[in-house]
Amino acid sequence: MRDNGSTSTRTRTVALVGNPNSGKTTVFNALTGLRQKVANYPGVTVERHEGTIRLPDGADCLILDLPGTYSLRASSPDEAIAVDVMLGRAAHTPPPDLIVCVVDAGNLERNLYIVSQIIDRRLPVVLELNMMDVARGHGLAVNVHRLEKELGVPVIPMVATTGAGIEDLRRTVATTPPPSSRGREWKLPEPVHREAEELTGMLLESGKYPEASAFSEAIDLLTSHPSALEQTDRFDRAILEHVRLDHQKLDFLGFDRESVAASARYAWLRQVVARSTDRVGYPGISGSDRLDRILTHRVWGLVIFLLLMALMFQSVFSWATAPMELIGEGFDALGRGVSGLIPPGPLHDLIIDGAIAGVAAVVTFLPQILFLFFFLTLLEDTGYMARAAYVMDRFMGRVGLPGKAFIPLLSSFACAIPGIMAARTIEKERDRIATMLIAPLMSCSARLPVYTLLIAAFIPATTVLGILSLPALTMFGLYLLGVLVAMGIAWVLKRSVLRSVQTELLLELPPYKLPSLKSVLLTMWERAVVFLKQAGTIILGASIIMWFLASYPKLEHGSPSEQIEYSFAGRAGKLIEPVIEPLGFNWKIGIGLISSLFQREVFVSTMGTIYNIQDTGGDGSVSLASRMREDIDPATGERTFTVPIALAVLVYYVLAMQCLSTVAVMRRETNGWKWPTLQFATMTGLAYAAAFIVYRLGTALGGT
Amino acid sequence: MRLADAPLGISVRVSRLRSRPEISVRLREMGFCEDAVVRCVMKSHGNIICEILNARIAMNRRLAGDILVSPSE
Repeated sequence: MRDNGSTSTRTRTVALVGNPNSGKTTVFNALTGLRQKVANYPGVTVERHEGTIRLPDGADCLILDLPGTYSLRASSPDEAIAVDVMLGRAAHTPPPDLIVCVVDAGNLERNLYIVSQIIDRRLPVVLELNMMDVARGHGLAVNVHRLEKELGVPVIPMVATTGAGIEDLRRTVATTPPPSSRGREWKLPEPVHREAEELTGMLLESGKYPEASAFSEAIDLLTSHPSALEQTDRFDRAILEHVRLDHQKLDFLGFDRESVAASARYAWLRQVVARSTDRVGYPGISGSDRLDRILTHRVWGLVIFLLLMALMFQSVFSWATAPMELIGEGFDALGRGVSGLIPPGPLHDLIIDGAIAGVAAVVTFLPQILFLFFFLTLLEDTGYMARAAYVMDRFMGRVGLPGKAFIPLLSSFACAIPGIMAARTIEKERDRIATMLIAPLMSCSARLPVYTLLIAAFIPATTVLGILSLPALTMFGLYLLGVLVAMGIAWVLKRSVLRSVQTELLLELPPYKLPSLKSVLLTMWERAVVFLKQAGTIILGASIIMWFLASYPKLEHGSPSEQIEYSFAGRAGKLIEPVIEPLGFNWKIGIGLISSLFQREVFVSTMGTIYNIQDTGGDGSVSLASRMREDIDPATGERTFTVPIALAVLVYYVLAMQCLSTVAVMRRETNGWKWPTLQFATMTGLAYAAAFIVYRLGTALGGT
Repeated sequence: MRLADAPLGISVRVSRLRSRPEISVRLREMGFCEDAVVRCVMKSHGNIICEILNARIAMNRRLAGDILVSPSE
């Protein structure tokens, strides 16, 4: 509720920028707390994290947490967004009134690289100096006042753990007018400088480039590789011709053209850092060093990684059970409560069987998703995730994917949607697309209810080899199947349509640190909000439509199962029966397939509706299981499900895409229908073929 | 000498990058400028972890082979 509706005060925009791992998000969380939201930048799926704070003068201030970047030359879509917003080139965001550059004091020189680029362009910037304690660990004490003098911009020291310095930052944000930086102070070698000045003149004459940034543009042009000139469309032909001549001249003079600016900049920064830091000790072997010796070890690294993954899955699949049952019971109670309020009739059925039951079936997964993100955030915040990517690079490399691809794939075990979105950290488009294409093959948590139901119904709870339970083994096998098929597809893709130069691994390993409970909780909160919003809109709508299709047109007299057969859904099931008959599926399974086309877990609620029982969480699914086991088609006298059929259904669900949201995300992410269409067709085709083989083989081996 | 062959724990100086242009730009921004001092701290299966400007950078064998270094006195 905005009590101050004054429109005269324009909202101030403040952009948080910095190197990856500089602690930017901690600063953002400390500034905005729960007043933040996640959206997408228009046209791309880079997440936009923003929060609004109220300034003392009553005006609102929009804080943007931009993706981390090492420099103003972007090399991934995320970085491109950060750079465009910073430079005021983005249509969706006004040029920021202030740039807050979060700087890791423990790695001052490298972190100041982008700061110096911002200063070059005379943008209003302040430094938020983070991790002073890490710097001390390296034996360095930063003198804030000297650093301020050297750089000519305000520096605010901060201790992330205590929140000290945040108030200072708030005050700075509230100051008008924001301080403007004083411009470039590092020196290029004389001949290069001369050419840069001349080129700056040409750029300014063309009138297309702001004065403050023309020199930076000129340096970028002079130091770029000839191939980069051919790809750019931001400059006129005459200018590019001139740049080519400059290249020849400087090459002839013996300059290492491409590194000359970076070297000169670093030479200056080395002086800045030397003048503004004092050595207070000497670094010994750090804890990070010792940990890395184990965690990135060729053998132990892998063992520990696998143990951590096992722990994560244990938590997602077992520890989440209790809260899931609780949520299920809560919805049951809600259903019963509402049931008493509304007289029996279509409205009653719509709300109880359609809306509440449908939403309950999905919201039940909230604990699993929260557990997963709890672990992922923990791994990320402690600094372990980068090590895991390093350890996995060897294996991902076998199928032609970069080590970074492992993170999106891992997330896809919870849900392919965050997984696919996590793929945007992969720089190369072909690698990114390959990763996104195989991500939905990781068994997501939405498949879990389908697996659970069918395994409980058809896989005997016996023990194999003394210790392993057959149902658990089956479950593991389904997960493994998805992974293996995904790897196979990646292997094929990377050798055909998505062939590219073998990706280099280049990854910063941030120092290990204790995760902040606040940031972990905030991430979980964010994910919960996104998930529940979806449940409240798309899934609610889909549930109501499904309920309608399974309930209408009404049959005057007849059993519930005859009613289902007579309904739109039943007719659709009958319609596709000839297609799925080779897989051993009858029309009832057909309804399940159709209804879950948009959302896999709907298969379970559809079976529940068809078998006319209220699916009541834990013990409810057991009785549904027995109903399914005993169901006989009165027309043919055959059982709807046999063990081979159940296995075929399971395999089908492992491989088929069956998720509207994934299709939508793929379309948005790849900017077109080509990849999602290909993906949907391939996955459905594979699922069909595999289910066919399993059913035929199972039946031939005498399975019933 | 290639960074991939640099002995563990010994500081060496970057003398030349022969990686692809896009990667070279990124390497320079991360501090792998000509003349920068870098120290290899771990090796496994040819992949390396090295330290430069107080940061730890992991890279694979190919990339570490594209960074030429010379002994730093």
